[in-house]
Amino acid sequence: MRSTMYSRMLFGLAIVLVFIWLVPVMWVVLTSVKPTNIINSAVPIFFDFAPTLDHYVEVFERFRFGRSMLNSFVTVGVSTLIVMIIALPAAYAVARMNLMHGDTWALVILSLRFMPGMVIVLPYFKIATFLNLIDTQIVLIVVYVAFGLPFAVWILRGFLLDLPKDIEEAGRLDGLSWIQIIFRLIMPMAAPGIAVTAIFTFVFSWNEFLFALFLTLDKGSTMPVALQKTIDLYNVLWGSLSAGAVLQLLPMILVVFLLQKHIARGLALGAVK
Amino acid sequence: MAGPPVKFHNSQLARQQRKVAYLLLAPAVIILLALAIYPLIYAGALSFRVDPLYNPKVARFIGWRNFTDLFEDSRFWASIRLTLYWAFVVVAIQMVLGFLLAILLDSKLRGSGLLRSLIIIPVFISPIAMGLNWRFIFEPVTGLANWILSNGLGVEKYSWLSHVDTALTTLMLVDCWQWIPFVALILLAGMQSISPEIVEAARLDRVRGIKYYFKIVLPLIRPVIMVVILIRLVDEIRMFDLNYIMTEGGPGSSTLLASTYDYTIFKHGHLGLMAAYGFLILILINGVVGIFLNTLYRSEKAARQEDMN
Repeated sequence: MRSTMYSRMLFGLAIVLVFIWLVPVMWVVLTSVKPTNIINSAVPIFFDFAPTLDHYVEVFERFRFGRSMLNSFVTVGVSTLIVMIIALPAAYAVARMNLMHGDTWALVILSLRFMPGMVIVLPYFKIATFLNLIDTQIVLIVVYVAFGLPFAVWILRGFLLDLPKDIEEAGRLDGLSWIQIIFRLIMPMAAPGIAVTAIFTFVFSWNEFLFALFLTLDKGSTMPVALQKTIDLYNVLWGSLSAGAVLQLLPMILVVFLLQKHIARGLALGAVK
Repeated sequence: MAGPPVKFHNSQLARQQRKVAYLLLAPAVIILLALAIYPLIYAGALSFRVDPLYNPKVARFIGWRNFTDLFEDSRFWASIRLTLYWAFVVVAIQMVLGFLLAILLDSKLRGSGLLRSLIIIPVFISPIAMGLNWRFIFEPVTGLANWILSNGLGVEKYSWLSHVDTALTTLMLVDCWQWIPFVALILLAGMQSISPEIVEAARLDRVRGIKYYFKIVLPLIRPVIMVVILIRLVDEIRMFDLNYIMTEGGPGSSTLLASTYDYTIFKHGHLGLMAAYGFLILILINGVVGIFLNTLYRSEKAARQEDMN
């Protein structure tokens, strides 16, 4: 009995803590629908105001946020697709085929993920300038493929290692060909892992800032860069900034809820295996 | 079908399979060679050149000059010291509080799953969007932080991000807010993969509560802890976005971490110098990781020898 009381108390504490933790996120959402005079009030006003969508209209009209959103979706979506197409066979090879030094290959590929962006961004900047690709979606797609790939291979490998060892053997005994084994047996079983990997890849690129800052100026800029511009030019437009931030954060918060159960496992696989 | 032919068949299959495996791996390796390794080599070449962004005509090879220039610059050393200090302090806080948070979340009561997905939100949202909003929260006059502090604790209103004595701490707070949940959830996954027999044995031995976590869980999830420390150390040493968006290294150079310093070099147009500094960040990361793994390996070996005696 004592222990259930104890665990309930802990759980209650956890609820309070999580609530406090998320206050900044709720504050952004609130600020984004407040009229400007309420935002600038010296005493914070929490709920006593008439909600408005003015700031959302403003980010689209004044800061051309629609274009940045489109850029974000295109660069991140396309690069994630390419990453998955290349990472899946590679992960399958290092995880389930009798490759010499499969683990070493996987580790070397993973180590590229830990390269500081500052080293790599300059060559990209020079090459993109030379090819006249600065401020285009293409250059960011290329960068996000390079940076998504190592992590995607690593996590997929974790998921594929987790599948039972004898699937391939069973398939072969049933007279299935290589291709059939992969598409009819492995892929369906690994589907949740593939989905989680794709989402993680998407999230990392979606939030990426350093490369977008160096390689885009205006036409090709993604949402983080566009957000940063609103505050540089107009130092106090907190409303528009919050509206833009909400538009940038919302897809990620949706992702968290859609994938509830798989996220922790995906994170753990990435860190542990 | 006796033994030997099957074996022969298998080994031939194995060889064939190995060929297919290399074929499957090849696209990823080729792409990484072209998009990660080649730029790295290019950056290496650039670090030995003077290459002004706004006057490309004078670009030329200058040997080790960029590196010696950096080594003679006291601001360079200050930024390296600050980066190491930042990384160790922030990672230590994140590990300790992340472990405690993981204990809190390690519950099988209803709703704990929802709680876990709520707390992970900070990890998945952009440091740029949140960093800008933290600036709003720490805004001296209208900010939420000052209102809470002055009404709740009677602290006088203060401009936290524009004073040398508080900017770094404020930045650390925001970074920990974002990453403690990440540490907690990974440690939690480690905790929940402990075998039920061990958990049951601990329960029978009446090892409960805090004692259970520190005496039994902590040693068992040591490998997970080490990996998380490693990931966090690397990410904190190369930290850029939050630092850039919240303080841009200021006020003065009180929050000027390595990557942000490197960015200011770029803004001044010294591309060769920037490449050299970038390489030094890479070396710094490798050095810290190397030392960490080395001590880990040694302590592991010592522990094993102790077990044998």
